[in-house]
Amino acid sequence: MTLSDRIEKLLMSVQKPVRYMGGEFNAVMKDPGSVDVRYAFLFPDTYEVGMSHLGMKILYHSINAREDAWCERVFSPWVDMADRMREQGIPLFTLESRTPVGEFDLLGVTLQYEMSFTNILEALDLAGIPLRSADRKEGPFVICGGPCAFNPEPLAPFVDLVALGDGEVETQQTIDVYKRWKASGLPREEYLRMAAQIPGIYVPSLYDVAYNDDGTVRAVTPKPGSGAPEIVRKALVTDLDDAVYPEKLIVPYGEIVHNRIMLEIFRGCTRGCRFCQAGMIYRPVRERSLDHLMEMAEKLVRATGYDEISLMSLSSGDYSCLPELAHRMVEQFAARRVRIALPSQRIDNVLTDTLKETQKVKKTALTLAPEAGTQRLRDVINKGVTEEDLMRSVTDAFDQGWSAVKLYFMLGLPTENDEDVLGIADLAEKVRRCYFSVPKERRAPGLRITVSASVFVPKNDTPFQWAGQLDYDSVVRRQQLLKQALQKIKGVDFKYHAPDVSFIEAVFARGDRRLADALELAWKLGCRFDGWSDQFRYDLWMKAFEQTRLDPDFYAVRERPVDEVFPWDHLDCGVTRQYLLREWDKAQRGERTQDCRKGCTGCGMKRYEGACV
Amino acid sequence: MRAMIRFGKQPRLRFISHLDMQRFFQRAVNRTGLPIAWSQGFNPHPVMSFGSALALGWTSEYEVIDIKLSAPMGRKRTEDAVRAALPEDMPVLEVRMVEDRHPAPMALVRMSDYRVALEGPGAAAVIEQVPAFLAQAHVMTTKKTKSGEKEIDARPMVVSVDPGQDGFTARMMLTEQQSLKPELLVGLLAQMAGVEPPEVRVHRLTLLGEAEDGAIRPLMEL
Repeated sequence: MTLSDRIEKLLMSVQKPVRYMGGEFNAVMKDPGSVDVRYAFLFPDTYEVGMSHLGMKILYHSINAREDAWCERVFSPWVDMADRMREQGIPLFTLESRTPVGEFDLLGVTLQYEMSFTNILEALDLAGIPLRSADRKEGPFVICGGPCAFNPEPLAPFVDLVALGDGEVETQQTIDVYKRWKASGLPREEYLRMAAQIPGIYVPSLYDVAYNDDGTVRAVTPKPGSGAPEIVRKALVTDLDDAVYPEKLIVPYGEIVHNRIMLEIFRGCTRGCRFCQAGMIYRPVRERSLDHLMEMAEKLVRATGYDEISLMSLSSGDYSCLPELAHRMVEQFAARRVRIALPSQRIDNVLTDTLKETQKVKKTALTLAPEAGTQRLRDVINKGVTEEDLMRSVTDAFDQGWSAVKLYFMLGLPTENDEDVLGIADLAEKVRRCYFSVPKERRAPGLRITVSASVFVPKNDTPFQWAGQLDYDSVVRRQQLLKQALQKIKGVDFKYHAPDVSFIEAVFARGDRRLADALELAWKLGCRFDGWSDQFRYDLWMKAFEQTRLDPDFYAVRERPVDEVFPWDHLDCGVTRQYLLREWDKAQRGERTQDCRKGCTGCGMKRYEGACV
Repeated sequence: MRAMIRFGKQPRLRFISHLDMQRFFQRAVNRTGLPIAWSQGFNPHPVMSFGSALALGWTSEYEVIDIKLSAPMGRKRTEDAVRAALPEDMPVLEVRMVEDRHPAPMALVRMSDYRVALEGPGAAAVIEQVPAFLAQAHVMTTKKTKSGEKEIDARPMVVSVDPGQDGFTARMMLTEQQSLKPELLVGLLAQMAGVEPPEVRVHRLTLLGEAEDGAIRPLMEL
């Protein structure tokens, strides 16, 4: 029986077989004999999550635009499927051609969040690929990219290459160099050395890490004679209008998390919120032109048949011609019943006009992220939003017929005290009052306020990379404090989670190479799909730390001195350590930094030619 | 004007549920660029209907979808547009343009022909029981429905069965009142043979309806 037949049989007995089916509209099929390089792209989570991700779509289509390569998709099989595959000796396979992943030339893995790390080990194991790079004699090279690539150290022994920054160009270069290496007939290690010369590519095995007696890192240095650069600077695409963007998107059959056209209107963010890693590592802001966006949208609507376009970016309200874009979008697509959605709204400049435009076609819950409950703390985190802004936004929205508001906050931000926590409840109460201040005949019935409070995770490459995460017990206490305060307000729904997942996330966000052992052991003990609350096993994680003699508090909770060398210091994300330190300093004094659109704040991006205009 | 489209569902796509097929076609019709008629009301949607739901895991060469158009359109152009909007594993097999007053496909369906492939140790014994099954006047069994179990007579729902090498082809009733899935028939045959039911792969060959003269004909020819 062929592998495909065995897979078919297996699919009869697992949940949601459509996840493993392939054959979607716009999926790319090629003749394997006609290409030089076969590229498997792994999103280490379920199909529904991975297929909602824009970056994967961009790289999938940009690799497939080449005639000499075929990129196919792989997602983490859900636990029932993974267990059955092991039982029956079925290796991890790609959706398009059902080829075992171990037979590919390159295996790209996107690192979207730390809690998917065990899924990467699970995938390698299911594919029959030795977990550690050093043990691989054949099979695909493992290349990681995505936001977590800026501190890939806990994954260092498992990966061959790490791609920093924008993937559009550097991914192509890893393929070009692969072809050169294959033609050369040189040994496997030589590909790593060759790839280390590509701008933005970091090869962990070519570096030595030295530690101080207290366990902190002394230095990370290239191995003598390796030719690897001392500092690897991220790859940057300066003009997005020139960058590849898929004209066709795969249209899944089953429902996925975000089932719509995703139109990236710009990359990067100028705000400088101090907790936000995306706001730092995706700098600078690069906008697509209006005409280009309209053209892209038209092509995508025709090619997919979707009835919704989501304008994607870190802060869509900041797009310089947003009102015009929204207006033209509505004009062009309303008659065809295509809705326009604006995610990640910022309360200080959601233009009333734009709200009106989007409302014409769709009305969902208004989502706002004040992040902190008091102005003092919002200044600390440099969230440039005032209470007035917030109240004006919600009042406008209520006045125009919205009745549902979602408010997002973080607990455990640096310098947070009880007053800040209670300030969240205070804001919720004020939002409620705004609703009732709108005349009854104008407002929509059924006010719903949802307050979500996540636990703050200090991330590498942010001004808060020196901060300690709030300890477990204090988080629980503050959650209860807020819960009690919110219970007194009618119509408010409070959402929060146990801090254990955020704790593990904090350990790995700023972890070093030694954590690889704990990661591997946790996976061996049974950890996978850690981002799924029904799968997460805190007890197993704690056991893994204990048995590998690693102290998770050392990584998560400890506030780090300003002169400490970080495990990721040799990876340049574009903004400089000096800038981040200046911001950390200002945060502690509660001083704000302006949006860099209003004037350069000296983050370091000017070191790239043509990056900032 | 309406377009009646017959298409296939090949093995690769057999795990798409009926609900997902409906969602799929909402987007697929948008891709055709054809003048699609939309329903009125609070949540407008393209006006379309299916001949009959295909169970999860089955394949078919006779799926029928009926799409209402807001303007007249030629058959060839419609066929080309629909073909371009469907994936490789959902081939367009036949297109027929009908007037609005033509009955909806669902209202026409009476029976369905299936090819039933059997695999496993009990397969031969099951196939052997076909004549004995057909010789009986009644075969009582329980059928699971949404509202619980129901005692039914399976025999009249099985119109004909042709035994073959690795299974059989069968014509079965397919109306709201009377319908039987091939898996259930296999279960009954296995019971008669005293064996465990073998693995079943169902492939729909034709949907059939009743012509004005009372003859049973494929749906697209009615």
